Amino acid sequence: MMDLFLQTLANALIQSGTYALASSGLALAVGVLHIVNFAHGEFLMVGAFVAYWLSVLAGIDPIVSLVPAGAVMFAASGVIYQASIRRVLLAPELNALLLTFGIGITLQNLAVLVFGATPRVVHTAYQLTAVTLGPVSVGVAPLITLIVSVALLAGMYAVLYRTGVGKSIRAVAQNRTGAHLVGLDVDRIYLLTFGIASALAAIAGAMVLVRIGASPHMGFGFVLKAFAIIVMAGLGNLTGVLWASLVLATAEAFVRTYVPGGGGAAEAVFFLLIFFTLVWRSWRTA
Amino acid sequence: MRWAGPAALVVALLVPLVPAGGYQQYVVQVATFVLINAGVALAWDIQARTGQLSLAPAAFFGLGAYAYTIAALRGVPLPVAFLLGPLVAGAVSLGLGVVTLRLQGLYFAIATLAFAEVVKVIFKELPLDLTGGAVGLTAPPLLGGHQTGLYYLGLCVLLLVVAASLAVRHSRLHYAFTAIRQGELTARVLGVRVVRTKLLAFVLSASLTGLVGAYATSRLFFVIPEDTFGIGLSVTALATAIFGGVYTTAGPVLGAIILRSLEEGLRMVLREGYLAVYGVILMLVILYLPGGLVSLWNRRARDAAGGD
Repeated sequence: MMDLFLQTLANALIQSGTYALASSGLALAVGVLHIVNFAHGEFLMVGAFVAYWLSVLAGIDPIVSLVPAGAVMFAASGVIYQASIRRVLLAPELNALLLTFGIGITLQNLAVLVFGATPRVVHTAYQLTAVTLGPVSVGVAPLITLIVSVALLAGMYAVLYRTGVGKSIRAVAQNRTGAHLVGLDVDRIYLLTFGIASALAAIAGAMVLVRIGASPHMGFGFVLKAFAIIVMAGLGNLTGVLWASLVLATAEAFVRTYVPGGGGAAEAVFFLLIFFTLVWRSWRTA
Repeated sequence: MRWAGPAALVVALLVPLVPAGGYQQYVVQVATFVLINAGVALAWDIQARTGQLSLAPAAFFGLGAYAYTIAALRGVPLPVAFLLGPLVAGAVSLGLGVVTLRLQGLYFAIATLAFAEVVKVIFKELPLDLTGGAVGLTAPPLLGGHQTGLYYLGLCVLLLVVAASLAVRHSRLHYAFTAIRQGELTARVLGVRVVRTKLLAFVLSASLTGLVGAYATSRLFFVIPEDTFGIGLSVTALATAIFGGVYTTAGPVLGAIILRSLEEGLRMVLREGYLAVYGVILMLVILYLPGGLVSLWNRRARDAAGGD
């Protein structure tokens, strides 16, 4: 009884690592650029496919591939930013949303055209092994993804709060005009932040490849959940993202374990929690 | 462009009479899909004029579709079942509207999205003999499934949505909606009953979406939770409206005609991945024509879209 409880908790923790990684990039883009990036999920998908092909063609382990996956998406997002995103930064919110949606559908369907719609999986030695900690058994692959997620998030915090670049990013997020007045190159900070956010998505994609697999349509489910998480956390609140990921992943895992036939209902719980959080918050502050 | 509306209506009336040889049926079918997309997009636009970005059209479309199907399967006369569509969607939207009307911007969008997802799961998990679960139900066709008749019925449904849109545009509501969109506080100071007006827009839009949902089901003959409540439906609605031109009546209709025909054409050529072209077109329109297609000849629409 207790064992099942602990096992569920462990599963929730691992899932929340992926959620947090996928969502913090989105939160960064919303918080700093004030852009709702609908293509974030497709950036994740691109990262997964980069890692997949490196594994198939060059035999590189997908965990190692998170570096090239992140790098590829960092560079690609720079091009995307220069060619399109920067032109809608001052336009109405809807325009930016629809632009990134267009980018997302284009990437997704290009992937379908080039790779086909069938899901792909990688095979590594450690995917079949598990670590046993008392009553709880955790696969090595999910454990690695959790460790990588925690390390990356810690790294992101260190950059944001302990370096000059991080300070500049936070300054721009707080007040674009003010940052510009004290001499910061706002456009470059935007470019950099968007690159980091997109690279985080791609790395999350490589992690998902190890745990589940890659398919052109994998991004959308993640972006929906990532949206939900950042909204629940409060837009642009990075610490809140960690809590929201943990709460939502835990709720999802417990419903899946304890409610009979709960696989379908788990999704509903996720969105139900978000719905009530939002509504409750709006009525409390009003 | 005073002649554009009547001219479009005449063309729409003539569609089933076009001598297209073996493609006759296909043309009418695509035209029917255009009517459905235009209806949902225009209904979405009516509400968007109050500045609320809803991602719940799929929920109201699905509620209308299921209300019609379930009632019709239980022996309710078909016309009555048809009217249940908008009624159920409207009633639910009233409840949802009351709860969410304090939310703004992205928070409202996500709350409506979350609502739509929850409704989808509920319909999947309800007892099988009521909703058919994940497999869905087969819906009894209206008018005996007569294709041309159903096309004209769809045209009537769309005309009703157009009439609602024009009625809003040419009444005091237009100014109330616009004022709320440009600043809720200012609108309140100006004497607009903000809560009531937003709720009216929400319920009107949802009822119309439910009507289109009931119609679409009577034409497609089935409901499936993944499709009928699919997020794709909501996204298509707003993409269509923005492509054509938001806050106008002609924009969403024009957007539906072009995007849906294009989609069907590309589907024939590419079969898979054809939506990539759709995505590229969306990007180009947003970058180079932010007011939508309507802004090509309508300066006022261009200013309206760029001005807030």
